[in-house]
Amino acid sequence: MAHPSQLGFQDAASPVMEELLHFHDHALMIVLLISTLVLYIIVAMVSTKLTNKYILDSQEIEIVWTILPAVILILIALPSLRILYLMDEVNDPHLTIKAVGHQWYWSYEYTDYEELAFDSYMVPTQDLLPGQFRLLETDHRMVVPVESPTRILVSAEDVLHSWAVPSLGIKMDAVPGRLNQTAFITSRPGLFYGQCSEICGANHSFMPIVVEAVPLKHFEEWSTLLLQDA
Amino acid sequence: MVIAFVTKTLKNHPALIPLLVFISGGTIMSGTYLARLALRNPDVSWDRKNNPEPWNNIAPNEQYKLFAVNMDYSKLKKDRPDF
Repeated sequence: MAHPSQLGFQDAASPVMEELLHFHDHALMIVLLISTLVLYIIVAMVSTKLTNKYILDSQEIEIVWTILPAVILILIALPSLRILYLMDEVNDPHLTIKAVGHQWYWSYEYTDYEELAFDSYMVPTQDLLPGQFRLLETDHRMVVPVESPTRILVSAEDVLHSWAVPSLGIKMDAVPGRLNQTAFITSRPGLFYGQCSEICGANHSFMPIVVEAVPLKHFEEWSTLLLQDA
Repeated sequence: MVIAFVTKTLKNHPALIPLLVFISGGTIMSGTYLARLALRNPDVSWDRKNNPEPWNNIAPNEQYKLFAVNMDYSKLKKDRPDF
């Protein structure tokens, strides 16, 4: 989850997010190198004691500063396109969950084998237990088996919402009347927090998402328990 | 006539050669991809009478995207009903 004064991404909890992190490092490094170079050139040009500064023609440097940026852009584009196609691949999920946005809570439906459905409301601040996170905890978490390809079908019942979990690298708009599909694999067990990412009314900031990745046995026990309670 | 003009310009200003190469390369690549999308994408229907819904004609293990990074499409199972 996010921590105070955080500047970078949250730690990756899925292979796709790892790829995105590395690509961001790569692109940011290129950007920083170019910016440093430009800043240096500006300072050098402004503070030089040379008097003949206004060179009007040089074919060689023009060739260099055409080819070099083109090569740099290609070096950015190739990993970017690779990740784009990677994120879209059909990966034969073991489990399908429907995440439906309402004003102002999420409901999850696990309808592959049995009819398991529940709502997920935010825990109000005054009801938080010590150690829980303000505005991020929910009463029921979306439990998934760890290291198992999971498909999420995102939709909404009333207005636009968006189902986002940054550490899994997922954001998918919830549009009424439309099913959007996304998929992920959790690399490790744990709790992964997210918040609704499309303005949806008064309590838009108060409908968080918690994904709980557990070993398959625990997932089976949890779903059996919930089905018995229902 | 255009080619003569272009060659004369490039001979006098050789710094423009990489510019021409990259810009034409980029235009050709984007144009080809756009044409591929228009003609091969199963979401596009040109012939409303004979092929109104091309997205219904894709085989279960057909790769319709340009690149496959991590996916061996020939190994996909065909586990859906035939219509």
